[in-house]
Amino acid sequence: MKIHVGMELTPLVKQPTTQTLARYAGACGDFYQIHYDRDYAAAVGLPGVILHGLLKTAYLGQLVTDWLAGRGTLDSLEVSYRGMDFPGRPYLCRGVVRAVVGAQVDLEVWGEDPDGRRTTVGTARVSLAASTGTGPSGGEAH
Amino acid sequence: MALSGAAEKAHTRIGFAGPERKSAVEAGHLRRWCEAIGDPNPRWREEAPPTFLAALGAETLEFPEALAYGSGWLNGGDRFEYREPVRAGDTVTCRTTLSDVYEKEGSAGPMLFLVTETRFHNQHGRHVGTVTGTRIRR
Repeated sequence: MKIHVGMELTPLVKQPTTQTLARYAGACGDFYQIHYDRDYAAAVGLPGVILHGLLKTAYLGQLVTDWLAGRGTLDSLEVSYRGMDFPGRPYLCRGVVRAVVGAQVDLEVWGEDPDGRRTTVGTARVSLAASTGTGPSGGEAH
Repeated sequence: MALSGAAEKAHTRIGFAGPERKSAVEAGHLRRWCEAIGDPNPRWREEAPPTFLAALGAETLEFPEALAYGSGWLNGGDRFEYREPVRAGDTVTCRTTLSDVYEKEGSAGPMLFLVTETRFHNQHGRHVGTVTGTRIRR
């Protein structure tokens, strides 16, 4: 399908659990206790253990690479963390095409909690492979 | 805004660098990473998925002047820039540098922002990517 401005990426729903956080802590080497130790989290004033920010970024990376499906390469991914997220709640990753210039495509991406709060917001830039393109114009949709 | 005394001390550390870290990119590590994030894409059996560089040494610089500010860490944001793929079997070297320090007044009081940049090179000396992290003390 031709990529055009306004096109939505196929949403990705993740289901992080406390086990996910333990696995992620081990895989990335981030052992800050607020991500797996409920007593520690409570002692620093959190309502519970929280998702690693970078785990949410990994989810947004998957959102983009699933959507690209080999049609191009990811050049950059940038996010800001706006709110905490907790295990046991689904995390919905979404995105939309914001600009298409030749083979370069800029995306807005975000993750939202079950209340619809965008707790992670960001942008991604991808370069489409020559065989993919964005249609004969090489530009925005007509 | 003018920096507070504690922030001024942290600001003097711009340019401070952590140790160089060298990591072999292992297929087993890629597999455990993908299991953790729940990404079954077979492409990642041989190639590092988008944020995997974070596991190879991008770090929070916990120097004394930062730890003296506030009582805990928050994560403000991250930026990944990719230049070349990282694959199983590569050896990646990186180093984290403190690139900026600034202070902001938040709703719950003052916050100190520490921006770090980590550049990654592979065994051929090629710059494969850069991770820029914003960590917050408050």
